[in-house]
Amino acid sequence: MVLRPPRSFWLPKAGNSPEEYEDASRVVYPQRMGTSGRRTARAAVSDGASESAFAREWANVLTEAFASRPPDMCGLTEDSLCDWLALGQEEWRVGIPWDRIPWHGEAKARAGAFATLLGLTFAAVPGGSPRLYWQALAVGDSCLFVIRDDRLWLSFPLEEAALFDNNPALICSNPDNTGDLWENVSRSEGECLAGDLFILASDALACWFLERNAEGEKPWETLIALDSSGWAAWVEEQRGAGLMGNDDTTLVIIGVN
Amino acid sequence: MSYTADISRNNPGCFLFLIDQSGSMGEALGGQPELRKMDGAADAVNRILDAISQRCSQGMDIRDYFDIGVITYSTDGAGRTKLETALPGTTPEEPFLSVSQVVDAAEVEEREVKESDGAGGIVEVTRKFPVWLRPTAGYGTPMCDALSAASKALKDWTAQHPDSYPPMVINVTDGAATDGNPESLAQEIMTLGTNDGNVLIYNAHLSEMSAMPVQYPSDESEVPPDEYAAQMFRMSSVFPDPVVELATGMGISVSQGSRGYVYNADMVALVQFLDIGTRAASDLR
Repeated sequence: MVLRPPRSFWLPKAGNSPEEYEDASRVVYPQRMGTSGRRTARAAVSDGASESAFAREWANVLTEAFASRPPDMCGLTEDSLCDWLALGQEEWRVGIPWDRIPWHGEAKARAGAFATLLGLTFAAVPGGSPRLYWQALAVGDSCLFVIRDDRLWLSFPLEEAALFDNNPALICSNPDNTGDLWENVSRSEGECLAGDLFILASDALACWFLERNAEGEKPWETLIALDSSGWAAWVEEQRGAGLMGNDDTTLVIIGVN
Repeated sequence: MSYTADISRNNPGCFLFLIDQSGSMGEALGGQPELRKMDGAADAVNRILDAISQRCSQGMDIRDYFDIGVITYSTDGAGRTKLETALPGTTPEEPFLSVSQVVDAAEVEEREVKESDGAGGIVEVTRKFPVWLRPTAGYGTPMCDALSAASKALKDWTAQHPDSYPPMVINVTDGAATDGNPESLAQEIMTLGTNDGNVLIYNAHLSEMSAMPVQYPSDESEVPPDEYAAQMFRMSSVFPDPVVELATGMGISVSQGSRGYVYNADMVALVQFLDIGTRAASDLR
């Protein structure tokens, strides 16, 4: 079983510059899977909370950390997740220009940045088996959709458009404010089948996707038909028509052959 | 009339403060003899402006999600109305600056404050406090003139921002207007608005009476027996449903019919009753 080359798209909220884009995505993708032992592919999407300070930096740290050195997904515990997170939290902390923060940003910076995280790993079983498995972890409303047999086979962690609001679960860059993080961690896993399509989306696109699916449409067909030249115009069209919220918009698509 | 407009730099929100600087504001604040009402008024404005600035802060930068004006009202010794503004370069006719300009206008003081150390102890730390308004008290209370000025400025603002979240007027006063009955003027302002709803008037009532503080009452019977409280209550807008929903979600005691009126109480939370974007959990209060 082989993963097709992932495709990633992003667009800032209308009215914002690319430098103000506060989502982030990272993909680590080896060319072939399942033929040369225990190799993995990893993808992550994060949505920095616009009301927190240095959220863009935090979303970047989280996705980079997940894609380059993910937590042990099989043996994940509250402690191991916090230990894994601590490295990223320290990376975020040392990247903040603390001595130059203006007064209006100080309290927010001390509180820490907040962001969602959706992480997806693919792994082949050792021994040369062609079988391929996936595991996903989510905090917040960045969503994974798995399309199988031409239908939405999994919607994770949110299953309905009505569940999106401005108060998603978030991961904080300040270890003192991680709160009940473990209670907000959702996990899912399964075996890949040939033809599966994995779609990772930040909230505005995920909400659009679930609404369209609920209307009986096949929104994945629209997404897989997009290319980089048509992506921005398509998102703007959906926003303009009131079908998609005006928010930073991120999409990663990975297909399985 | 939904109060659901997206607050963004393209469609900013608007706060217009009206600050009573009459002679009676020099009297002690009820229940807090060490503070004068004018200290309470300046503190309220500075804290709310601080909260707005922080909500718009991205850390290093500010996003201009709001236009802000601060009009002060009093009279001179001969009873002539004095309308002034607290933000540089503004006038009562054109009182608004964007948040980034407001931030630049702050005088930042450092104060030692006691904070929790997170381990059950208290530590003294230096924190920055922005100041825009200093306490002062003059003579009369031309609240009607102040409301008339606000009405004109808001007519202009709403015409220029037809799709914005409706402006919010925050009137900080001890309620004793000396130039007539301000109630009908307040009602008139509440008929102004944008496509998203009518102007909201919130009143922070500072009194020398030491009655129990009141926050966001829904019935006139809930206000203290202050001679101006009932009128100030009636001059305060009923919270729109989205505001009630947000405030309730934050654990603040409001209900359908609650009005934007506080009596000798904190109004800073009002700044949080607005959706700007994805919230950070610890920022909610």
